[in-house]
Amino acid sequence: MSSVPGPSREPPRYLRVSGSQRRERAPRCSSPGGDAEPSRVSPGRSQPCSSLPSPESRGGGGGWYPNSRSCQSNRIPGLHGCGGDGSGIGSLGVGNAGRGFPQGDGSGVRSGVEVHVELSKAEAEAIEKELLEDYRFGRQQLIEIWGHACAVAVTKAFPLPSLPRKQPTVLVVCGPAQNGAIGLVCARHLRIFDYEPTIFYPKRSLDPLYRDFTTQCEKMDIPFLSYLPTEVQLINDAYNAVVDAVLGAEAELGEGRGPCAGILATLKHVRIPIVSLDVPSGWDVEAGSSGGISPDVLVSLMAPKQCARRFLGRQHFVAGRFVPYDVQKKFELNPPEYPGTECVVDLSASQ
Amino acid sequence: MDKQSLPSPAAGMWSVAASQQAGGEPRPTAGTGPVPPWAFPLPSLPRKQPTVLVVCGPAQNGAIGLVCARHLRIFDYEPTIFYPKRSLDPLYRDFTTQCEKMDIPFLSYLPTEVQLINDAYNAVVDAVLGAEAELGEGRGPCAGILATLKHVRIPIVSLDVPSGWDVEAGSSGGISPDVLVSLMAPKQCARRFLGRQHFVAGRFVPYDVQKKFELNPPEYPGTECVVDLSASQ
Repeated sequence: MSSVPGPSREPPRYLRVSGSQRRERAPRCSSPGGDAEPSRVSPGRSQPCSSLPSPESRGGGGGWYPNSRSCQSNRIPGLHGCGGDGSGIGSLGVGNAGRGFPQGDGSGVRSGVEVHVELSKAEAEAIEKELLEDYRFGRQQLIEIWGHACAVAVTKAFPLPSLPRKQPTVLVVCGPAQNGAIGLVCARHLRIFDYEPTIFYPKRSLDPLYRDFTTQCEKMDIPFLSYLPTEVQLINDAYNAVVDAVLGAEAELGEGRGPCAGILATLKHVRIPIVSLDVPSGWDVEAGSSGGISPDVLVSLMAPKQCARRFLGRQHFVAGRFVPYDVQKKFELNPPEYPGTECVVDLSASQ
Repeated sequence: MDKQSLPSPAAGMWSVAASQQAGGEPRPTAGTGPVPPWAFPLPSLPRKQPTVLVVCGPAQNGAIGLVCARHLRIFDYEPTIFYPKRSLDPLYRDFTTQCEKMDIPFLSYLPTEVQLINDAYNAVVDAVLGAEAELGEGRGPCAGILATLKHVRIPIVSLDVPSGWDVEAGSSGGISPDVLVSLMAPKQCARRFLGRQHFVAGRFVPYDVQKKFELNPPEYPGTECVVDLSASQ
């Protein structure tokens, strides 16, 4: 691990491919003018491409698949053109140039030269809104995905064998809103991963979903502290690390000085590592912090927020793998490569 | 209410997709041992395109298939879904929308000529009928699909229960999957499973439930959500 960097170290950034190099999406079958407003497969229309022959009109042994010349079917897996001569179905072997499914080949991501702007508060909210409303993700789904990813990041930042204490204890401090719920799910997954999380969740939400997350943790026998000691040495001695799930990107400026102020004042003085979920609590989502907590590890959800530029800790993970490609493109997220089936990637490792 | 009555979708269900992922790259082991051999790593696929056909039935097993397909897409596979009998359940419709918005194609019909399937895809995910299916459902509306699947020559991955099998007694003349992914814990019919790999996706099940039902789960390496039972034999 690198030593604590000085103030002049640049935080990890996303690189953006310049306009001429940007990997173009293959035009969709039924969209007339390119992919400005790509058509979607509507529920009532199972065939993804309007130029596909209808099933009745197909003939011959190879007639099930459309001819790739009439439809860019090379982007539709399992629907490769057959040439219409009945010679059988097989992949036409078209190259990747026209591929519609973006492949994780790494090209066009690291070769860019421009610096990508991280998400503003408005953009972060817009992405979440789009996932919930347009993509029909459930809030329970999203929080579960994020909480699981945060737990995986914690296991990478603090592998079990590396923990200094005899017991693999972790303190998870949960705020009253969504960031806190993500912390609850993170704690549950840490328990599954054989850590020993303890939760401090002083201001419980009345939201039924968050109450369910709380119940899931309670039924996993995860202890809930009734109060957070103000003497930080007690925290330093009892835990290996603290997960900061107090305030997230949705927090209003100044919330760090409100009811959560006492918690944040304590966290500011702990000597054990802090892992912040999405935004270091108390920081302004865009401007960052002046005198707030200094986490060692940051786990950005979906994509880094602008305040991540001011992150000076040792590891910065991004948990954005599940974000659909069209959303990534719309908001120019230009995400990094994720190895294997990993849901988080360590940005600092690839520098 | 619906969203909360199901087990956490992401935690439980992407484990199915994880059993098919690329295992070629060295993974950070965190001291937990060797990289497990997954069923169909990307580099091992015979076809040029990493195509997978996901056949989804009308009930929960089908919904699990939808989520599996979406995660396969995230893992850089090219899934195609066949989902003939769409549920009206709002949760399942949301899963469908999520797949559609990820540009996963939906077939309008399943060809009865199995050679077309054999040629186009590397594997088939069978998410037609699950443990909740009634005995004989395999002979009902899904019979045609299962008859086709019985004759495909490419590997079949069954989710939880090979479709058409009796959950406890197993099958007599039904499909023979190559890979079985048992959800939470193997069902009794898994005793009759003769394929090459049997995964269990049960890591998220709370300890008290495991103890109460005497699940006696295996060890899961690292942060993996599935474990290959056949590998530890």
